[in-house]
Amino acid sequence: MGEADGGSGVKVLRGLLFMLGLAGLAWGGKQLLGLGFDNLTITGVWLAAGVLAHDAVLAPLVLVMALIAVRVVPVWLRGPLAAGLVVLGSVTLLAVPVLGRFGARADNPTLLDRDYVGGWLVLAAITLAGVAVASLISWHRHRSVLR
Amino acid sequence: MRSPLSLIPHPDSFTSRLRGPEIASRVGLWLGISFLLAFVTGLISHAAQDMPGWLTFPTRPVSFYRITQGVHVISGTAAVPLLLVKLWSVFPKLFDRFTFGDVRRLALQLAERLSIALLVSAAIFQLVTGLANSAQWYPWSFSFRSTHYAVAWIAIGALIVHIAVKLPGIRRALSGPLDDDLARTSEQGPSRRGFLRTTWVATGVAVLTTAGATVPWLRQVSIFGVRSGDGPAGIPINVSAVAARVIPAATNPAYALEVRNGGKQVTLTRADLEAMEQTTAELPIACVEGWSASGEWRGVRVRDLLALVDAAEDADVEVTSLQMQGAFRQTTLPANFAQDPLTLLALELNGEGLSLDHGHPCRLIAPNRPGVLQTKWVKRMEVLA
Repeated sequence: MGEADGGSGVKVLRGLLFMLGLAGLAWGGKQLLGLGFDNLTITGVWLAAGVLAHDAVLAPLVLVMALIAVRVVPVWLRGPLAAGLVVLGSVTLLAVPVLGRFGARADNPTLLDRDYVGGWLVLAAITLAGVAVASLISWHRHRSVLR
Repeated sequence: MRSPLSLIPHPDSFTSRLRGPEIASRVGLWLGISFLLAFVTGLISHAAQDMPGWLTFPTRPVSFYRITQGVHVISGTAAVPLLLVKLWSVFPKLFDRFTFGDVRRLALQLAERLSIALLVSAAIFQLVTGLANSAQWYPWSFSFRSTHYAVAWIAIGALIVHIAVKLPGIRRALSGPLDDDLARTSEQGPSRRGFLRTTWVATGVAVLTTAGATVPWLRQVSIFGVRSGDGPAGIPINVSAVAARVIPAATNPAYALEVRNGGKQVTLTRADLEAMEQTTAELPIACVEGWSASGEWRGVRVRDLLALVDAAEDADVEVTSLQMQGAFRQTTLPANFAQDPLTLLALELNGEGLSLDHGHPCRLIAPNRPGVLQTKWVKRMEVLA
């Protein structure tokens, strides 16, 4: 590492951060081991499943969608469409627990007490409207560049 | 004939200009901030529930826990779009080839891969389990609270190691230009600037559509909030009287509260409690799941009840509920909470008699205390020696 990396001060900082991070890892590992073998096994399965769900399912899916989009979607529409999908896709994913109402209980009407699917449709409609407006602007700009 | 290995993509197979350190460092910065916020507020929540002996959790500010736990869930929610974009921006690195010739380099590469695997798996784990917990969904058999706590240390540890390893690259990317504008024409599709803006919008939408469960003025727009904020006397409930199976005991006309200090004991019926001096306090009920609501509680000061049995001012108090099971059937009220003038054994909420679901005949409500420790259906208060 030379001057470009910030010299010795940065080196010391990196060393300290590295040790601090290792300490955190060790403490977390100790806590996890302390919860017993059964707890550890299931936690391990969930930890691995999360990475697999992303790396082997979601990421390839997004990749395939992008490959298709590059072939069939005109250039001026790609940006707005991608933006709409990033917003709606990520928010839909984090809303899965409420959309599915998996934790709902008949004895507690104050829990998960909204019309989540209706809310999602409103969000989808707003996103679609946003994509439409952005596409129009993008299309105009594209045409004026070509001319 | 091509070998099956050649089907595995190479980092160079990914051609989008949007992927790379320019996006990864900028989104990563905010992702790191959101994880740090969630970690620190998580530690506060852990301390509030399981006070280590050397620490006294303060009773002021009254809404401190409401705010920290709100920040905890909001920052975790904001991290979802940030993490997704971050992972997308660095996904090609997953296909980096190992250098098998050089043992030292190979060992370093393996160590870095391991730390990244820990970081990504712990980060996804924390967000998935946290979000599910906020919606009271438990599709697993590990203990949520202690496991979420342990993995939090792994996530933050791996994150700090990652920052230490990448610091020069992060500095370079953050101080460098976002878009290489000269090479860009409208033929190339979306710009990095636009993509970054999209990420902030997604993060903002994630927050606005959920935070209303704890931020009252966002209630109307929080279409994915776990609570609308409605409930008996205008306050949601976490565990119902049915779920706690306390209805027979809580509606028994022979109910009486026991207050005990060693051999000294008084028994108070609901009428006795109503005859004592009543105090009104505006206090939040702030749940560990992240929702919260403020209510006007009215009832007897706990310290007045403790004075009936000559409790020492520095004595902790064990509060026991009528419910027969549940991890929080019995809680310890530290001395500073027990003696606080705002700590009540509430009989009324927002001008109505306490409903069964809110803890009738009487419940504990103290300032700056997690909801799970605000014991409902109180049966006994015992001064601890």
